[in-house]
This record gives sequence, C-alpha cells and structure tokens, in this order.
Amino acid sequence: MVATFLCTFLLLPHFAYGSDEFSFELDEIEKKPYRFGGYLELRGEHMDINQGSVFTGLNFADPDMSTMDLMYGSIQLDGSYEYGISSLNVQLKAAAQQDTIGWSDLTVINSAYIALQPAPSATFSLGKKSYKWGKGYAWNPVGFINRRKDPNNPEDALEGYITLESDIIKSWQGALQTAALTVVALPVWDGVNEDFGERNEVNLAAKLYLLYRDIDIDLILLAGNSRSDSIGIDFSTNLASNFEIHGEAAYIPNLEKILLEEDNSSSIREQAAFTSLLGIRYLSENDITTIVEYYYNGGGYSADEMTHFYQLAERGLAEDPALDSLLLDRAREASLKGYGRPQPGRHYFYTKMSRKEPFDILYFTPGIMALVNLEDHSYSLAPEAVYSGFTNWELRLKFSLINGGKYTEYGEKVNSNKLEFRARYFF
Amino acid sequence: MYNIIQRTGFIAFVVLLFSGTAFALDGNEILRQVDANMQPQSYEMYRKLINIEPDGAKKEFVLYTVKTGQDKMVALFLSPASEEGRATLRLGDNMWLYIPNVGKPLRITSLQSVIGGIFNNSDILRLDYGVEYDAVSATEDEKFYQLELKAKSPSVAYDNLKMTVDKETLLPLTIDCYAISGMLIKTLHYSKIKDFGDGMVRPSLLETDSPLHKGYRSVMLFAKVEKREFADEVFTLNYMSRINELRK
Repeated sequence: MVATFLCTFLLLPHFAYGSDEFSFELDEIEKKPYRFGGYLELRGEHMDINQGSVFTGLNFADPDMSTMDLMYGSIQLDGSYEYGISSLNVQLKAAAQQDTIGWSDLTVINSAYIALQPAPSATFSLGKKSYKWGKGYAWNPVGFINRRKDPNNPEDALEGYITLESDIIKSWQGALQTAALTVVALPVWDGVNEDFGERNEVNLAAKLYLLYRDIDIDLILLAGNSRSDSIGIDFSTNLASNFEIHGEAAYIPNLEKILLEEDNSSSIREQAAFTSLLGIRYLSENDITTIVEYYYNGGGYSADEMTHFYQLAERGLAEDPALDSLLLDRAREASLKGYGRPQPGRHYFYTKMSRKEPFDILYFTPGIMALVNLEDHSYSLAPEAVYSGFTNWELRLKFSLINGGKYTEYGEKVNSNKLEFRARYFF
Repeated sequence: MYNIIQRTGFIAFVVLLFSGTAFALDGNEILRQVDANMQPQSYEMYRKLINIEPDGAKKEFVLYTVKTGQDKMVALFLSPASEEGRATLRLGDNMWLYIPNVGKPLRITSLQSVIGGIFNNSDILRLDYGVEYDAVSATEDEKFYQLELKAKSPSVAYDNLKMTVDKETLLPLTIDCYAISGMLIKTLHYSKIKDFGDGMVRPSLLETDSPLHKGYRSVMLFAKVEKREFADEVFTLNYMSRINELRK
C-alpha cells in the first residue's frame, strides 16, 4: 500500500496537473493583504408613461409625454486591506443617468470602516457601514438602522451609516448552538448621519442573534431620540430540506407619521405601530424556487388616506398651472414626506418564482416577480431572464407591467410598463 | 435417523453462522476508514470547480473551505470576480448563503445550486460520508469493496449511494448518487491520488457526470488540504463576511 502511494505521489507533480486537461496553480490561491474588485453596470430602460396619473402630474412638467427612455451607467468599487488584526473596508459607488428629461449623477460612499478582530469571537468597527438586519427578502420591518431597500432589486448594495460597533459571538454544543450580540452606536450630528433623524443625539441599536434548535432568532432594539424607540424579533428555519419559513415583527410605540387633515393641511401624528412579515422559500422537485412574503405595514396609509392624497393632488393638478397652486404644493410636500414613498400602504404580497437552468441551458434563470397592494388590488408583475454564462458577466432582461384602477398605488404610478436590459461586468 | 439429520443440519447452520459472522464485511467500518483517509476532522483546503459544457466551454470557480468537528463547514468563493466573497455555511442540516451585496446570510437548502451546473450545495459542503450515511450492505471482489449507503435523514441531498472503494488504499473510486425514487442523479469519479503532506494521501481530482445533464461534466480539483483547528465561532452567521481573514 505504501509503495502504491509513493509511486502515485512521485508520478504526480505538486499542485499543478501540467500534463492534464485541468490545472490548479498555487498563484490562483495566493492571499494578498489587499483586495480590489467591483462591477460596471449599464442599463437601458424604455417606459410607457401613465398619462393622467397623479405621480405623472406631480413629477413631470410636460403632461403630453407618452414615453421615456433612460440610459444608466454605474461603477461600484470594493476594496479592503488587512494588516494584522485590523482591516480597512471601502465600497464606493458612482452613477450617472441620461433620460428624456435630462442628466443626473451621484457619487456615494456606501461603506468605509476600520475593523479590529482580536479573536474570532470579537470584532469592533468604526466608520460607515451598511446594515441589513431582518430575515425578509423584500421588506425588513425589524431593519431599524437599515436603509429602505427596493423590492424590485432587493440584492443591491445600500449606503450605510457612520457607526461604532462591537460584535461578540459565542458557540456551544447543545440546543443553543450560537449567541451573538451586535451593539451599534449611531450618532446624528451636523454632517453625520443627518438623514437618520433628529440631530445632536446618539442612538443605540442592538441585535442578539440565537441559533436555537436549528432556528435563527434575532431580538432587535433601537433606543435613542433621533427616531422612535423600536423593538423587534425575527426568525428563520427549515421545516423541510426544501422548505424555509421566516418572519419578522416590530413594535414602534411612538411612530411619527405625516397625515393630511380634512382641510388639506398636513400634520405629524404620533401613534403606536406594529409591522410584521411572514415568508417562505420553497424549492420544488423541478428546481423552481419560490419566495412568498406577506407584509403588514402598521405605520402605512389606509386606502382611504391614500385616496385623500390622490384627490388633493388631482385637484391641484386641475388648477391653472400659471397660478401657484396651494393644493399642488401641499400634495407635493405630502408626497415627499410619506405618501409618495415606495409601498406606502398597509398590506402587501410579494412573490418571486425562478427556475434554474431550464431546458439544460446552463447559467440561465428565468423568473417572475409580483408585488401586490392587497388593499387596492393594484400590482406590478415582472417577468425576467438572467444569464450569467459568460465569465464575470451578468445579463438581465426584465419587463414590468404596472397596473391598477384609479386612486390605487400602481394605477397612479408614473409608468404603466417598463422594459429594462441590464449588463453587469464584475472585475 | 431423523435426529442425526436434524443435529447435522443444526451444526452446519451454527458453523455457517459463525463463519459468516467471522468474515462479514463491516461496511460502516470501511466507510469510517474511507472518511479518515479522505480528510482530517478539522482542516482547510482549496478547490477549483470547473463546469464543462458539451461544446467544450468551461467556467471555473475557486473556493476556500474550512471544516471543524463532524458537521461544521464553510466555503468561500475566491473567483471568478462575479462570485468573489460569496460564502456558504453548513451546521448539520442547516445551510446559509452570504452574498456580499445582499449583506446578510440567507437560509438555503442543500439541493440548491449556488453556482449553476451539476454541483449543488451538498457537493460543495460535503460532510464525512459516515456522518450522513449508514452502510446497509457491503460486498467485495479481488480489488474493490462495494458499499451501499443509505441516508440517515431525509434532508441529505442523495437518498442512497453506491460506492466502489479500492481495497488497497481504502479510498473511493466511484460513487453513484440516487434519489429516493431510485433515479440516478449523478456519478462521482475520484482519481489522481496525491500526497498533500502530513500523512494525507487522497484523490486530488473529482469528476462528475449526470444522466440529467447529458454532455455536461463538472470537475473538482483539490489543493493544500491541511489539518488546522478553528474556533467554533468561525462557523456562525456573524462570521460569514470575514472568512477570507482566516486564509494565511
């Protein structure tokens, strides 16, 4: 047996299979202290404008515009440098857009922070960092320090906040396998996290993660005066090898909400709000992955409240554009402060179904996504096809049908459909 | 006369039973030795996965993998750039996927493919065979053992395996992977035995073909398989974004 081993060993070169069809060279796995990468994105969009809708009127000066074309380009740069127990991590994004109306561009530092890791169980960081707390795919009610994500592109990177963070992990054998406590100090000062909320405050957020009997559980808390205190819980587990269930629940005792009054003025109301999400992820025998989520947004607007806003905007838009319309100004203000944000309603349904590599077409994934406002029955339906067969390229073709009746969320959107082609090159 | 026949028959039965017991193959013991020869209990290793399409087109992925104990394992994609930083963690039957842009681990199932092609999560985060399977039968001929393995739990990707083991090296040569329906899902072929140092002599090439993907092949190359101890905290969701820091 030893002789066989020695023979085979002597006949084979180390790490490289030079004489063979395949090779694995050491320089492919050599670690460098620095890392640099990212992607370039080019996207083209064509939209049919939903003429006569409320948001078309609020956003576009030309009421006769029937279509809109858009070219978008962006670059995301990711870099890191490790030195001993410390590391520097940076993510930058620059984007520019030319559309039928004009040109716009932006540059943003998504993250830039220094981390210290004295042991695998402890990490401390200082700087700008993005948080993605919560188990939901399209929404995260417990994401108290998350940026709001776009359910149409939930996997995109988001800008972070400047924080001081400590992360302590402990593992055991037994029913409780892991506990991890993440504590975040998030200050809001002039020039620091100004868009988080009230200034001159230091907020504290904490997340206690537990892996208990194969169930992921997070207990999450936000305390501070920049936003209302919040408390939440989430969970995720596999009920079967192909069936995952997840959920989130959050309670915000003093949520501040902008509300249109009967006289069309707006006021800030403080109310207790409960938000929750329940979702599943299921893999069928024929390789179809289905994600389904129901989202209850307790701090959102009812169908009647949204109708009030749409009627106010419509009355303002009907007035002579040459005269400054007070109603239109109020509608625009209400839109910016809450009524115009994504998914402003209370009950939503999300589903995404994708089929891996049908018809033996490797790296090809067709899918369909639906987002439904359950109160007004308006919806967005988006079939897509993703191909990643060319090394470091990802190509996506997507069509969105946006539909609903009068005074409904998707019936009053700017566009009634959108055709989009996106190419990403990773480097 | 009847008693003599009866006694002779009983003695013959006892002798046969005894000899059968003495020389019966212990499939689980063979499997334990196969596992011990294939990888240490705690280790790190690098792998290259190559998907080969019928027209010869190839796509390559490089992974860094660490494992500790019986069922704690994590794999990090080092290349290509489109997959860099993706990590998959396995704790027993639980699996998670971390995608850098998504920024948080998502629970996934063992049957899903992270990268496309014939390999699925289970192949990438394979535990010791003895952890997931029981040997239900074992036979031998002059050169090989044939083991029939049955999954210990329904969460395992392949319900049963037929493994051919080289008697001299106690290393696997081919493994047929079957679904619970009895359908052959894929066949694994191990080859190119190599000394990885520290007494680790094992195959460095794994080729996979599947009747479900005719004409497609997947290849896994192994490098730097080395014993190394890791803290249990490495195998947690909070650590998934930092796996690269373990590499020397």
